[in-house]
Amino acid sequence: MFFRPKVQLESFEAVAMPHLTDLYRTACLLLRDRHEAEDLVQDTYLEAWKSFHRFELGTNCRAWLFKIMFHRLHHARRRLVKASRVIAIDDPDVLEELAAETVVPQEICDEDVLNALEKVAVEFREIVLLADVEEFSYKEIAETLRVPLGTVMSRLSRGRKLLRQELAAVARSYGIDPCAKQAGAAETA
Amino acid sequence: MNNLSFDSKRCELIRQYLDSYLSNELLVETASEVVRHLESCESCSRDLESRMRVRDALQRAVVNRPVPESVRADVLRSLRESQPRSFMRPSTTRWAIGLASIAFILLSLFAANWMSLHRGEQLVSSILKLGVSDHIVCAIKGHNYPEVANPPDQIRNKLGVRYAVLLQVVQERLPGFEVLEGHICSIPGSNRKYIHFITRGKGTILSVILTERNGASLPKGRLLASPESAGLSIHEGHLSGMEIAGFESAQYFVFVVSDLSQKQVLQLARGLAPALNETLQTTAFQGQNSHVLNALFKLRHEIPTSLTRYSMTTDEALSPKANARSSYYFGSPNHDRNNRS
Repeated sequence: MFFRPKVQLESFEAVAMPHLTDLYRTACLLLRDRHEAEDLVQDTYLEAWKSFHRFELGTNCRAWLFKIMFHRLHHARRRLVKASRVIAIDDPDVLEELAAETVVPQEICDEDVLNALEKVAVEFREIVLLADVEEFSYKEIAETLRVPLGTVMSRLSRGRKLLRQELAAVARSYGIDPCAKQAGAAETA
Repeated sequence: MNNLSFDSKRCELIRQYLDSYLSNELLVETASEVVRHLESCESCSRDLESRMRVRDALQRAVVNRPVPESVRADVLRSLRESQPRSFMRPSTTRWAIGLASIAFILLSLFAANWMSLHRGEQLVSSILKLGVSDHIVCAIKGHNYPEVANPPDQIRNKLGVRYAVLLQVVQERLPGFEVLEGHICSIPGSNRKYIHFITRGKGTILSVILTERNGASLPKGRLLASPESAGLSIHEGHLSGMEIAGFESAQYFVFVVSDLSQKQVLQLARGLAPALNETLQTTAFQGQNSHVLNALFKLRHEIPTSLTRYSMTTDEALSPKANARSSYYFGSPNHDRNNRS
C-alpha cells in the first residue's frame, strides 16, 4: 500500500465514493448514533482501500462495500454487549404476534417510518434495509451477512411484518385504526 | 373480484410467497401463480398493497434522510491520510529516489577516492622504500663511507662526468652536513642503480639518493604529498626506523634519508629540492647526449614499474640477510663490478 500510485487512490475513490450515501444511511439506521455510523463508514472505506488490489474492477463495488461494512459491524457487535432491545428470532411471543395481519395506513410520515424501523430488532432491520431499501438480491444479502439463503428469507419476512406492526401501532397512537380503515375499505369495495 | 375467505389454504400459500414476490425472487411460474391469485383475491391483494406501501414508505424515508457533507470530506481525508505522508507519496518517492541516487554517487566517488588514495599511499610507500633500503644497505649496514670525508675530486671521479655536478649542489644545500662519500651503487640481480651521497651532520648519517624513475611516478595529490617546494611535491614516510622525504625531478626520484626527525628531514629535503631540481632539469639530465653517456657508462637502467617488483626489491634489501650477502657495489662507472672501494 505504501508505494501505490496516487492514480490508484483516485480510481478507488471513483468507484467507491458514489456509494458513500447508501452506506452511511444504512449505518445510521443500524447503529442509531450518527458518530458511530461515521466511524463505521470511515473504517469501511479504509479497509476497502487497503484491500482494493483484490477488488476486480467491473464487479459490484456497492455489494463489496456493504459486505465489508457488515463484516466490521458484526465483528464489533460480537464484542459489545448486545443492545437492550434484543428479540430472539425464535421467541414464541414474536411468532404469535407475527401471526396477526396488520394494515399500514397511507398517512404516515418519514419520521414515523424511521421511528418504527428503529424499534425492529437489528437482526431483522438489517435485512429489511438491504432488501427493501438497497434492493440487494437474497443471494447478495446472504453473502453480505454470511448467513444461509433460508435465513435471509425468514428474517426478511419477519422483519417486514414487525415493521408493519410498528407502523400500525404508530397509526393507532395518532387515533387511526388501521383495522377499521381496512374494514371500511372492504365495505366500500 | 371474488372475495375469498382469508384463511383459505390458497391464501395462506400465496401469502407465503408475497415477500419473495415483492423482492422479485420468485421463479416465473410461481410469480404467475401469485399474480393469478391476486387478480381473484381482494384480501391478498390488499395485503400485498400494504406491504408495497410500507416498502415504498421505508425507501422514501431512508432516501430523504440527509447525509452531512462532512461525512464525505472526512472519509476522503482519512483515505488520503492513510497514504504515506512523506516517502509514500509518489512525488516524495521520486525525491527519495533522487536523494538516494545522489547519495549513491557521492558514496561511489568517496569509495573511488578512498581506493585511489589507498593505492596512492601504497605506491608512495613502495617508492620510498627504495630510498630507505639503499640508505640502510649501503650507508648504515654497509658503512661504505670513510671517517674522514673523501676529497671532492675523488667523489667527482666516482660519480663520473654526468653526476659530478650534483656534488656541489648537495654540499651547498645541506647546511651543517659534510659530504663524506659519493658514488654510484648497483644492486645485484637488478638493473637499478642509484647515485648515493653519504653525509654526516647533526650527529648522524644522512643519505641523498637519486635513482632513475624509468617511467614510474609518485602520485599527485595534496593528501599524499607534503607542502610543495618550488613546485615539487615532497612525499614523506617512516620506514624501518628511518625518516625519508622523496620527490621526483626530471627522470629521477630523489630521496633524503636519515634517522633525524621527520620535520628535520623534510626541511632538509625542501632546502635541497629546488637547486637539485634545477640541475637535474638541465640538458645533461634530459637525454641530450645521453646516448654518448650511456655508451660511456654502459648502463642500462631499468626501474621495475609494478608495485610487486618494487616491494620485492626493497623487501629483499631490507631483510636481515641483505647485509650478510651485501653484494652492492659502488664506485665510478669505470670501476669493475667487483672492485669495491
